[in-house]
Amino acid sequence: MNRESPPPIDWKAFVTGHARRAGADLAPATIEELAAHLDDLYAGARASGAPHEVALRRAERALEASALGTLPVRAEPRTRSAPPISPSTSRSLFVIYDLRMALRQFRHHPAFALLTVIVLGLGIGAAAAVYTIVDGVVLKPLPFRAPDRLVTLWDTNYEQGLRQERVSPVNFMDVRALHGTFEDAAAWWRPDVNLTDNALEPVRVKTIEVSANLFQLLGVTPQVGPGFPADGPFYDRQLIAVISDRLWRERYNADRSIVGRQIRLNDTPYTVVGIMPPRFAFPDDVDVWERLQWDLTQHSRAAHFMETVARLAPGITVDQAARDTAALADRLAASFPATNRAWSTRVVPLLESQLGFYRPALLVLLGAVLLLMLIGVFNVAGLLLTRSLDRRRELAVRVALGASPLRLVRELIAESGVLSAAGGAVGLLLAWGLVQVIVATMPVAIPRLDQVSLNWRVAAVVVGVITAMTLGFGLVPSLLMVRQRRASTLRDGDRTSTASGRLAHRALVVAEVALACALVTASALLVKSVAALVAVPSGVSSAGVLTANLQLTGPAYRDWAQVDAFYAAYLDRLRQAPGVAAAGATTFLPFESGWRIAFDIVGRPNPRPEDAPIAQHFSVTDGYLETLAVPLVDGRTFTTRDTVATPGVVVVNAAFAKQFFPGERAVGQHLRSHVTVIGPMGRNLLVDQPFEIIGVVGDAANAPPGRPVEPAIFHTARQFPYRSLDIVVRGADAAALQGALRSALRETNSALPLDRVQMLDARFDQLSAQPRLLMRLLIAFGALAVALAIVGIYGLLSWTVTSRTRELAVRLSLGARPVDVGRLVMTQGLVLASAGLAAGWLVIVAAGPLLARVLFQVSPIAALPMAAGGAAILVCAAVSTLIPAVRASRTDPVTVLKSE
Amino acid sequence: MSERTAITEAKKGSAELLILALVEEQDRHGYDIARLIEDRSGGTLTFTLASLYTSLYRLEARGWIRGRWIERPGVRRRRYYRITEAGRRLLATQRQDWGRFLTALREVAGVTFA
Repeated sequence: MNRESPPPIDWKAFVTGHARRAGADLAPATIEELAAHLDDLYAGARASGAPHEVALRRAERALEASALGTLPVRAEPRTRSAPPISPSTSRSLFVIYDLRMALRQFRHHPAFALLTVIVLGLGIGAAAAVYTIVDGVVLKPLPFRAPDRLVTLWDTNYEQGLRQERVSPVNFMDVRALHGTFEDAAAWWRPDVNLTDNALEPVRVKTIEVSANLFQLLGVTPQVGPGFPADGPFYDRQLIAVISDRLWRERYNADRSIVGRQIRLNDTPYTVVGIMPPRFAFPDDVDVWERLQWDLTQHSRAAHFMETVARLAPGITVDQAARDTAALADRLAASFPATNRAWSTRVVPLLESQLGFYRPALLVLLGAVLLLMLIGVFNVAGLLLTRSLDRRRELAVRVALGASPLRLVRELIAESGVLSAAGGAVGLLLAWGLVQVIVATMPVAIPRLDQVSLNWRVAAVVVGVITAMTLGFGLVPSLLMVRQRRASTLRDGDRTSTASGRLAHRALVVAEVALACALVTASALLVKSVAALVAVPSGVSSAGVLTANLQLTGPAYRDWAQVDAFYAAYLDRLRQAPGVAAAGATTFLPFESGWRIAFDIVGRPNPRPEDAPIAQHFSVTDGYLETLAVPLVDGRTFTTRDTVATPGVVVVNAAFAKQFFPGERAVGQHLRSHVTVIGPMGRNLLVDQPFEIIGVVGDAANAPPGRPVEPAIFHTARQFPYRSLDIVVRGADAAALQGALRSALRETNSALPLDRVQMLDARFDQLSAQPRLLMRLLIAFGALAVALAIVGIYGLLSWTVTSRTRELAVRLSLGARPVDVGRLVMTQGLVLASAGLAAGWLVIVAAGPLLARVLFQVSPIAALPMAAGGAAILVCAAVSTLIPAVRASRTDPVTVLKSE
Repeated sequence: MSERTAITEAKKGSAELLILALVEEQDRHGYDIARLIEDRSGGTLTFTLASLYTSLYRLEARGWIRGRWIERPGVRRRRYYRITEAGRRLLATQRQDWGRFLTALREVAGVTFA
C-alpha cells in the first residue's frame, strides 16, 4: 500500500499554540527544546510502527499532561557552542535575564507599566525643570567678584509704612563713609535718555548715571576699552559713558572704533570709554552707563531716588551691616529731623534684592513641585505594592517549584529598575522640553532666566533620587513577601492576612492626600491673593486708554515755555485725530507714586520743618483727569486760563481733603508748596506764591496695590512744567490710537522717540502678572496632584475590597445589608482622606512664612482657601471611593464562600 | 497513602538523582533522558514534559549540569546536557543517601528489589 507521507509538522508552532492556550509564557529556547523533544517522541513512535495519527496523538498527550504554566520561563545564551562561562559574565547574564523577565512582565501588563512610567516621568520632568530654573535663577551665584559680599541699601520709613524706598544721595554718602562696614558702595539713578546720532533713528535707551566705582566694585571689566578710570574720581564733569554689548552690536554693528568716539545722549556729547561684555546686565538690562557728573552730597536728604550696591568689608555680615546702618540712621535722624526722622536703612543681599518676588515665588514653586514628585513616587509605590501583593500566589508557586527567593527579589528589583529607567528617560525628555518652553514663553521678565538651560547634574540627581525610591518601594514589598512566603501562602492564598501590606498602603494614601491637600490649598491661597490684587480699585477708568512716554531733550526745549508749547500743540493735534475721544499727560500714571514733598497750609501756624505735612506732587496737563475719568468731587479742574501768568492753582485728591480739611471745604484754601526744582527735568515756576485749591477729585491709586491712597496735589503743567510726561489717550480702537500718537508726534517733532506704548489695562495687569503666573502654575500642579491622589485612593480601595472579599462575604451572609458594606468601604476611604487633610494643613502651616511672601492681603492660614482646598480633596476622595464601595456592596456571598 | 502517591512522591525526590546519573554516562538531550528513565524503569517512572524540563533547568541553574545547543548536519538542533564537577559530587552523595535509604526500606519495611 502506497501510503502518502504526512506533511511535516511545525513542532514549535505546536508547542507555542499549546502554551498560549495554557496561559504559559515560555522562552523561545524552551519552546525549541520542547519541540525537539516532541519531534523525537513522534519519530520514536513512528519508528516503532505507529501510524501518523497515533504518533501525533502521543505527542499531543505528552504536552497536554504537562502543566506548562509551572515551567519557569528561561533565558539563555544564544551561542551555539557556549564558551566557558566565567562568574562575572554569568552575573551579567543574570542581569540581562532579569531585565528581560521584567520587560516581559510589562508586555503583559501594559496599563500598569504605562501608568507608572507616565507618573514617574511627570514627576521627574516637572521637578527637574523647576529645579533647573531655581538653580539658574536663585541658587547660581551672580557673575561678579565674591558676589555673596554684595548688598543693596534701601531707605525705609516706619511712620509712612515705606518698606523699600530708593536712597537719598546725601544719606548714601554718609553710609558709604562707614568704612568699617562697607569696603565700597556705588549709587546711580535712572535718567530718561534719548540716544540721537547723526544718521540713525533716535531711540530711548535704558540708562543709569552711576558713580565711577561701579565696575571696580563688582569686579567686572569692559570687553573693549578701559571703562571708567580705575581709582578715578567718584564723579566728574567730563562726560564719559560705557555701553552694553547689545547696543554695540545692534546700533554700531560691533564696530570697535566706537570706543573713543562720541555719542549724543539727550543732545549732549558723551565719549564712549568701554563696551561691557555680553550678558553683563547690571542693575538690569541697561544699555548706557553714564559716569556720575555731580556731587551727591550737594543734593537733598529728603529726595529718595538713588539705587545702590555696596560691598561688605571683610568679616562683616549682613546683620552687622544692618545694625551699623541703623545706628547711623538714628544719628542722622537726631541731627536732621526735618528730613531724616523715622527714616532708616535696610541692607539686602544683592541677589535677593535683584530677584524680588521671584525668590520666594520660585522657592514656593520648587516646594510645590517636590510635593508633586513625592505624590508621584507614593503613587508608584502604591502600584508596585499592590502588584506584588497580587502576585504573591504566582511567586509562591515559583518558590515551591524551586526558584530561590533571592532570584525573585532580583526580578522584582529589575522590574522597578526598568520602570525607573523608562520614567527617568521620559522625565528628562519632558524636563528638557519644559525648560525650553518656559524660557521661550515666560510672560514676565525673570532675571537671569534667559541664561537657563537644562542642568544635567540636577536632572541626574532627580533621576537618582526617584530611582532609589522606586527601587526601595520595589524591594520592601518583595522582602516582606519573601519573609511571609514559605509554603503557607500557597495553601492559605488570599486568606493570609495582608495586614502589613494594607498598613503600608494606608500610609501611602494618607501621605498622598496630605501633599495634594497642601498643593490645592496653596493654589487656593494664590487664587484669593490674585483676586485681591485684581480687585484693588485704581480709581480711574482704564478701558480704551493707551499710554506712552515722551521726553523733550536738546536745545529746542531749553526754555520752559517751549516745553509747555510742545505739549499743548501735541495734545491738541492728538485730540483732533480721528478715533481720539480725550487726551492728556501726567508725570506719574495710576499706581505710581508722585514726588513726596512737604507743603504748608496758608493761615495755619507754621509747623516745625520736621512736622510739615507731606503729600505726593504731580504735574498734569489739561484733560488728564478727564481722560482717565477721575471723578470731580468739588470745584473745577484746570482750564487753558490757568497759566504761568495767572495765580497759582492746584487740584487735590479726596484723601488730601479728608486728611487736611476734615469738616471743612478744601476748595478756596491756599497752600504753599515747598517743591522748587525737580532735577533738570521740571520746575515750579510759581514757587514763591500760594496755590489756591480749585478742585477736589476722587482718589486715583498712587501707591502699589495694598497701600492706601496718599494725599496728592496736582499742579498744572503750565505752572509746573516737566520735560518727560506720560501721554494718555482714550478711544475705541487701540490701533487708531497708536496711529494717532505717532502721526501727531511726526507733525509736532519727528526727532522724538515714543517710549513704552502700552494700554493702561496692560500696565495694570503687569502689577499682578507675577502672582498670576505663580497662581496658574500652582493650579496646574494642584490639579495634577489631585488626579494622582484620586488614582492612589482608588487603587488602594479597590485592592482592599478585592483582598477583603471573603470578609465582606461573611458580613453579608451574617445579615449585613449591601449598603452597609458599601458604607464601610467608603468610610474607610474618607477616614484616610481626612487624616491626610489634617496632615496637609500642617504642611501649609509649616510653609506659612514662605507663602506669606508671595501672598497679597491673604494670610497663609486663611480659613476660606484651606476649607476650599480641603473640600476639593474630600469630594475627590469620595468620588474615588465610590466605585470600590459599589463593588463591595455587590459582593455575592454564596459564590465567594463556595470558592473557598 | 495510595500506591500511586507513594511513587509520585518518590519520583519527585529522585528526579535529580536519575537525571544526574544519566548525564554522567554521556551528554544527553531531554528526550533521550525521558526515554531512558521510562525504558530502564520498565515504565514505572515517567516524567511529564514540564516536570522533566523544570528539573533540568533547576539543576542547570544550580550549576550541577550545563546545557548547550548542538547542531549536526541533517539532524534537528538539540540541547545536550553535561554533568559538571559539582554535579558529580552531588551525584556521589545522592547515590550514598539513596543506597542507605533503600537499605533502610528493606530492613524495616521488608521492601525487596524487583
